[in-house]
Amino acid sequence: MQGLNILLQPNVFMQLTINGVAMGMIYALMAMGLILLIRAIGVMNFAQGELLMLGAFITWGLTYQVKLPFVLMIPAAMLCFAFVGVVFMFVAYWPLRTASYPTATVISTMGAAMVIREIATITWGSLPLVSAPLVKGVVRVGSLRLQYQYLLTIAIGAVLIFLVFVLFEKLYAGRIMQAAAQDKYAAELLGIPTVLTTAATYIIVVTLASVGGYMIAPVFLVNVTLGTLQLRAFAGVVTGGFGSVKGAIVGSLFIGLVESYSSTFTTTYKDAVVFLVLIVVLLFRPQGLFGERVADKA
Amino acid sequence: MTGKPILRLDDVSKRFGGVVAADEVTFSVFPGRIHGLIGPNGAGKSTLMNLISGIYRPDGGRIYFDGRDVTDAPSHKRAVMGIGRTFQTPRFLQRSSIRDNLLLGADLGSGYGYTASFFGRKVTGFEDYVEQLLEIAGFTFEWEDDISSLPYGQRKLLEIIRSLLGAPRVMLVDEPAAGLNSREIENAMGLLDFAAKEKNIGILLIEHSMDMIMNICRDIVVINFGRVIAAGTPAEIQSNEDVIVAYLGRNLEA
Amino acid sequence: MSKKKNAFLSMTVFKVAALSAAFAAFAFYTPRFTNDYSMMIMNVSLINFIAALGLSVMLGMGGQLSFAAVSFMGAGAYFVANLTNGRLGVIWEPVPVLAGAVLFAAFAAWICGAVLFRLGGTYFTFATIGFVQVTWSVYLNYKFLCGGPDGVSGIPVIRFLGMSPRNYHDWFYILLGFVLAAGFLIERVRKSRLGRSLASIRDNEIAAQTLGVNIYRTKVIAFTIAGALSGLAGGLYAMHNQFISSDLFTFDMATTYVIMTMLGGVNNTVGVFVGSILVTMLPEWLRPVQRYLKLSYGVGIILLMIFMPMGLAGLCNAVLKKLSKRILKKTRAEPDTLGWEK
Repeated sequence: MQGLNILLQPNVFMQLTINGVAMGMIYALMAMGLILLIRAIGVMNFAQGELLMLGAFITWGLTYQVKLPFVLMIPAAMLCFAFVGVVFMFVAYWPLRTASYPTATVISTMGAAMVIREIATITWGSLPLVSAPLVKGVVRVGSLRLQYQYLLTIAIGAVLIFLVFVLFEKLYAGRIMQAAAQDKYAAELLGIPTVLTTAATYIIVVTLASVGGYMIAPVFLVNVTLGTLQLRAFAGVVTGGFGSVKGAIVGSLFIGLVESYSSTFTTTYKDAVVFLVLIVVLLFRPQGLFGERVADKA
Repeated sequence: MTGKPILRLDDVSKRFGGVVAADEVTFSVFPGRIHGLIGPNGAGKSTLMNLISGIYRPDGGRIYFDGRDVTDAPSHKRAVMGIGRTFQTPRFLQRSSIRDNLLLGADLGSGYGYTASFFGRKVTGFEDYVEQLLEIAGFTFEWEDDISSLPYGQRKLLEIIRSLLGAPRVMLVDEPAAGLNSREIENAMGLLDFAAKEKNIGILLIEHSMDMIMNICRDIVVINFGRVIAAGTPAEIQSNEDVIVAYLGRNLEA
Repeated sequence: MSKKKNAFLSMTVFKVAALSAAFAAFAFYTPRFTNDYSMMIMNVSLINFIAALGLSVMLGMGGQLSFAAVSFMGAGAYFVANLTNGRLGVIWEPVPVLAGAVLFAAFAAWICGAVLFRLGGTYFTFATIGFVQVTWSVYLNYKFLCGGPDGVSGIPVIRFLGMSPRNYHDWFYILLGFVLAAGFLIERVRKSRLGRSLASIRDNEIAAQTLGVNIYRTKVIAFTIAGALSGLAGGLYAMHNQFISSDLFTFDMATTYVIMTMLGGVNNTVGVFVGSILVTMLPEWLRPVQRYLKLSYGVGIILLMIFMPMGLAGLCNAVLKKLSKRILKKTRAEPDTLGWEK
């Protein structure tokens, strides 16, 4: 196959691997948020892609409209992300936390996705906006040309993932959040304010997705269609094995790589290949590539 | 023992991680007879029911129903063959009417497929049978009301009725008396008695109320730590040393 | 007891009568007050209802959230388009082709359901998301059968015994016929063993199994029915709009169908009907505030989920139940005055 020959050229292969890992990092940032939310509130967030898109717009607005210098833009953006997180929680989840029909919460996140998309369209218009990469140019390693933006995306993604791990595994606050996520009732009895822990989770989730949006903006342009990337994050979550953060990250990187490698075979059916892989993985390993099969007790 | 058993467990074992929930359990259930299954909390009684009705798969041993090996048959097939059951906490469709809930049982009993039912095939004598059973159960309801409008005790009785509508040949009844008042317990016993005597159903009954067990069971199996420690008539069980130590002794301490 | 039974019967009769009257009024008055363009949109909303009804079987009765409706709509639509407009060298009779489209979509759904339902719950939902992406990608890119990004145009309208609809008003009545047929079919399913079995899967899988319900098989059957309805909707859409493209079969459209179903009341045929019409017509009715339309739409969905998750029909039922309880209480106090007694 010609595609395979191209793919196996070392340069092309390296290039595609870097691209794939970079995109995978973006998906991983969303996927990690998805898992944190599933743990905390028990449902899938269908607005995850829109949060990424909003992050791209917010950072673009702060950089090019408010014209903040980079050092001020970052804290300002963080504040915005926190605000978005809190609003998102109180609108799309909090009133529904006792809903008898779990699908209701899922549908409400779909409504929220629509709202975010429309607010972005009304505020920034539907034309794609250009955002300059953080560091322009390429690194040359031998005959390889690697864009700084991709390398930076990988680095920042890795740092964020590491920070979240430290928070949840090592820090007291993270343990409290995990405890509250596992059993709200018991947590309340122990005097843990679940409103705060849930809000904190939402802030983290929005920040992760938004940083993803910021990193991807120079690659894809800032556009309302960025929201569709969430389907890749879903694919990452599912292939990795539902419920585990590690699985979601590895699954997202896997999806990023599949997407990147498949471009040597077909560009038109890139989407189809990614999701076919997802379906095939599901069928042969329903527990995900890295998950363990959980037997449910009757 | 007379007659052929309708249900037979042969060295059935099941473990969850390190916990042995069933350890080479062997016993039989005969048609028309009520068998008591007793043991301290956590002894593995409900696990046995789940093994028999196919919700769990055993790790070892075989389960025979009507002479056929059903160890690998899925849960719904066992139900169709004639293994009915009730649950410790009744399981109903909360968003459906009482009629629909009971019709589900009758659907199983009628054996009509989806197509026949779609083209209007109705279960004959359904309402009459329910009325007859309600007379024994000692309460009435409105067909179109929600399940949640019934008090807990009546829901437990209704679950036995639903199971009977499925025309089972073996019924697994999990703690029917828990949460019932004394009159309702009487009625539950009436229903079980009717099932065994009139319908020739073999009944396996888990119950903590010794009154009920000693009253209506002809055979009793005692298990502890997943293992059968005694089996026999109520009189034999009451005088069995092991049972007194393992079962009653523990109860006294607690 | 018989008194209450009669009361219930009267309620049912009343409900049926009110519904028939409302439907007749809808059928009679809508074409009189609607111009040709709005009629076209109204017709599309009827077609959407047929697809949404399939979703209602899956989600409302069976509790399985599936996004795959658009995939099978596409299957039906491209089937009809390819075999009636001559682009593959054949021009067959529309009605048999439509029937073929339904069978084709049902068959595709059967295969797909048999494979995807090896997965449970949420995994299944995600697999359908993947499936929608795959089919959309094919509809968008496959030139030979799907026309690529340009779609397929020049599809002839339906023709039966030499008669064809002359305009969208004629179409309205044809589609009403399909709507009624599909509605009755689903109501029949709801009242039969299949409907009850699906409800048992939705509410309590373990109870369902012990009541002899083959969960896997029942889900696949429901998925097949949903696929057939989607295929019918797709085929009708192709003949009605005479043009189809991959834009109709995106994941966004899939969520729109979910919303239609949820808005009216996920487990209620009349509710799904109202939901389909509202969701399809709202953009037209609210044209003056177009800019904020989708925004208010999103806000509306969230509010709806907070305040009435069972949709408009759920609200109606709650009100009706309260009313009937009040009336029944009265009858018990003064049995003769209201005349429930026969």
